Amino acid sequence: MLLTTSVGSLPKPDYLTAARAQARRGELSAKGLRALEEQATREWIKLQEELGIDIIVDGEQYRGDMVAYFAEYLGGFKTSELVRSYGNRYYRKPIILGKVTRPKPITVDWWKFAQRLTKQPVKGMLTGPYTIMDWSFNEYYPSRRAATLAIAQVVREEAKDLERAGAQYIQVDEPAISTRPEEMDLAIEALGIVTKGLKAQTITHICYGDFKTIGPKLHRLPVDQIDLEFANRNFELLDFFKGKRFPKQIGLGVVDVHSHRTESREEVVNALKKALKVFKPEQIFVDPDCGLKTRTPKEAIEKLRVVVEGTRLMRETLLN
Amino acid sequence: MITTTVGNYPKVAEGAYSTKLIGAVSKWQRKELSDDGLEGIFQELTRAVLKEQEAAGLDLLTDGQIRWEDLVTPIARRLEGFEINGLTRWFNNNVYYRRPILHREPVRRGPILADDYRFAAGCTKKPVKAILPGPYTFALLCEDRHYKALRPLVMKLAEILNAEARALAAVGAPFVQFDEPAIGFGKTDLKLALEALKVAAAGVKAKTAVYTYFGSLNGSLTALMKAPVDVIGVDVVSDSKALSALAKVKVTKELAIGCLDARNTKLESVKELQAILRAVSRRVDPKRLYVNPNCGLEFLPHTQARAKLRRLVEAVRSVAKTKTRSR
Repeated sequence: MLLTTSVGSLPKPDYLTAARAQARRGELSAKGLRALEEQATREWIKLQEELGIDIIVDGEQYRGDMVAYFAEYLGGFKTSELVRSYGNRYYRKPIILGKVTRPKPITVDWWKFAQRLTKQPVKGMLTGPYTIMDWSFNEYYPSRRAATLAIAQVVREEAKDLERAGAQYIQVDEPAISTRPEEMDLAIEALGIVTKGLKAQTITHICYGDFKTIGPKLHRLPVDQIDLEFANRNFELLDFFKGKRFPKQIGLGVVDVHSHRTESREEVVNALKKALKVFKPEQIFVDPDCGLKTRTPKEAIEKLRVVVEGTRLMRETLLN
Repeated sequence: MITTTVGNYPKVAEGAYSTKLIGAVSKWQRKELSDDGLEGIFQELTRAVLKEQEAAGLDLLTDGQIRWEDLVTPIARRLEGFEINGLTRWFNNNVYYRRPILHREPVRRGPILADDYRFAAGCTKKPVKAILPGPYTFALLCEDRHYKALRPLVMKLAEILNAEARALAAVGAPFVQFDEPAIGFGKTDLKLALEALKVAAAGVKAKTAVYTYFGSLNGSLTALMKAPVDVIGVDVVSDSKALSALAKVKVTKELAIGCLDARNTKLESVKELQAILRAVSRRVDPKRLYVNPNCGLEFLPHTQARAKLRRLVEAVRSVAKTKTRSR
């Protein structure tokens, strides 16, 4: 009960950030970069083991943007010139120019590499079809729906391959799902294509915009576990689940990934106490609110440590 | 038909006026670049985007809102009473704006955009329009810890935006546009939105417009025709039913038709655009028709944004030509 995990991304060490910039400028070979990505992955896996995290992630040291990464390896996509996301942040938004295909598995080699390094289960990490569609331009498919359903097929192939390789947990993230409430049914349908018949435990992480509109449909998401941010809204989201018998497992974000401050163990324990009034202990998975890649490595480690320590304290209280 | 844009334009252009703004803003944030240094780059880019609009053949230009992080921050940070806060989703886009928090009654101490307007207008012989957030949208985008009620906040912002609109007209803006994307979302208090627009546009010695985009106007189009401004902007791309709705409404104002998708790179054909423009021309005298993309062009990479503007002008010219021939 109260298994600990993380949402997916972990910060890149300085040497890897520098190496990625060098590789972009053509000053470092793909092989040279790969060696450093592997080194960083090894370091993060060792760290998670030492911290005592139950379900481990590879930390996505070889990925940049969670949609652009998949678009780079899928057929039918091209990358664009820079577009602005907010403030002074710009990114290259993928453009769908042809039929979306998956020439070969994308994340499976990395998953195998990570799993070989540890006895703990390593989660397979994918981006969901609705999010890939919403975060791309579409010049090929006649509608957003057609594009989403086509992408769902290739994400499914990838999920199947991860399962075949041995992944016990497969997470399919859909942070865009709250963007257009009127398309929630489409997102659910597409996610259903990805997860249908999988024997692995399936998870989706969503960052909610307007929770009032998507909340009532949450239980229809075709996954075993829904992972949500609780800490950054002061656990008010728990009220939504109060008095309902939520039929799925819940990924409970207990530390805010947007703040530099590390929460105390007591804060994590208090959060779990609140959550245990709403959910059963075996229903809860404990993690940070979201991917930790925007924190420094030191901040990320401290946040993960407090997640584990707070959860341990809570487990002990429950057992006694 | 008058060709124009809705407002913003790509701030960086890898194939044209450079991506130098990104580095400059980072340096400015680290205090390695002075305010004047950054201002110089803003001016250079503003001039470049005005030239691009001229070259595309546009009739009514904007400064491209190169200095604007989003629709509300540039105004809110210059008003007393606001604090600029964390990132929030920009309507139904994968784009974020900073939500202003209102702590006390907002106060405007003087003109906010007048100097920027004067600079932009001085860069071109073509008319340049001024853009402001509409009072209703501005209010909904804030976190209100002062009034804790929508009406007084909307009406106060209307008063402030009116002062700003008057100031922009006073420095020569021939056209002042209020952006009201919020009107197309959820349960809109359209009565309040229009009442506020009346205050915002009162006594402004320029043509005034309200632009809606992203959402769906279903049902509110007739009421919107009563908006106390000269021009009503309608996005017929985001809402596939908008065009047929428009056919049923008595169009009593000048119309600005958002007919190119500024949120997708796929380039519309001249033929598709002609069909839209012909349909709308049956409802409105083309002289009273503005033609523009459905929203700001900043969602697009620069190459596609420029291509869309050129296509827009091409389509409008082709419709005008066949019209002359048929007479």
